[in-house]
Amino acid sequence: MNNSLQSDLFALVHEPIEQDALIRHVRAAEDGAVVTFDGCVRNHSLGRRTLYLDYEAYESMALAKIREIAVQMHEKYPIHLVAIAHRLGRLQIGETSVFIAVSSPHRPAAFDACRFAIDTLKRTVPIWKKEYFEDGAVWADGEMPPAPLETRTAKPAS
Amino acid sequence: MATSSETVRVKVLFFGRLKEIVGRAEDSVELPDGAPIETLFSQYGVSHPDIVRFRSSLVASRNQEFASWTTPLHSGDEVAFLPPVSGG
Repeated sequence: MNNSLQSDLFALVHEPIEQDALIRHVRAAEDGAVVTFDGCVRNHSLGRRTLYLDYEAYESMALAKIREIAVQMHEKYPIHLVAIAHRLGRLQIGETSVFIAVSSPHRPAAFDACRFAIDTLKRTVPIWKKEYFEDGAVWADGEMPPAPLETRTAKPAS
Repeated sequence: MATSSETVRVKVLFFGRLKEIVGRAEDSVELPDGAPIETLFSQYGVSHPDIVRFRSSLVASRNQEFASWTTPLHSGDEVAFLPPVSGG
């Protein structure tokens, strides 16, 4: 199985995500499929009209967690390459907040891995969005990442 | 070995609504070497009582890894209190 993690692409960006570049990054001659997920800003939330969103991240940890997702994708599915980008800052309705591209020789793996990637990202990557409405703003209801209950063996302090 | 009376400095990060309550994104604090993350949070609970009610929905991290609240802290550690994540 190809384990091409070193060729995968991960990015947190403050400008519009260059989706075509991510697709080109994963597309290769040996692949028969590229599956993409385009997460975009919806104009409503729980029955209220959304005006725009602000995203913020714990950037160093978020990149590390996105990389971990890619490692798991390669372990679980016979895929070729992964590209994941998440945008931060203010996003307007319809703009892309997260884009994932996965290539594989055969399409089932790319579909499954792409679904795994967005589902895991939404549970484990430290990114937050604040939703702005006509009558106020709220931090979106999120998910609690799975965290260890017990202390692991502490690494020596550096 | 460090003694329990030694004081160390750690970096603390706040995000989302916690950042708004505490009024800053980053802090640097002194505490006894080996003190658990829970103790650090409790200190902020004294100065910013509004954060205490969020405790059960927070996950802690140490040096960019999710960590239990009993994780001991040492010099130079980077700690964050993470509200429920809502990326994507």
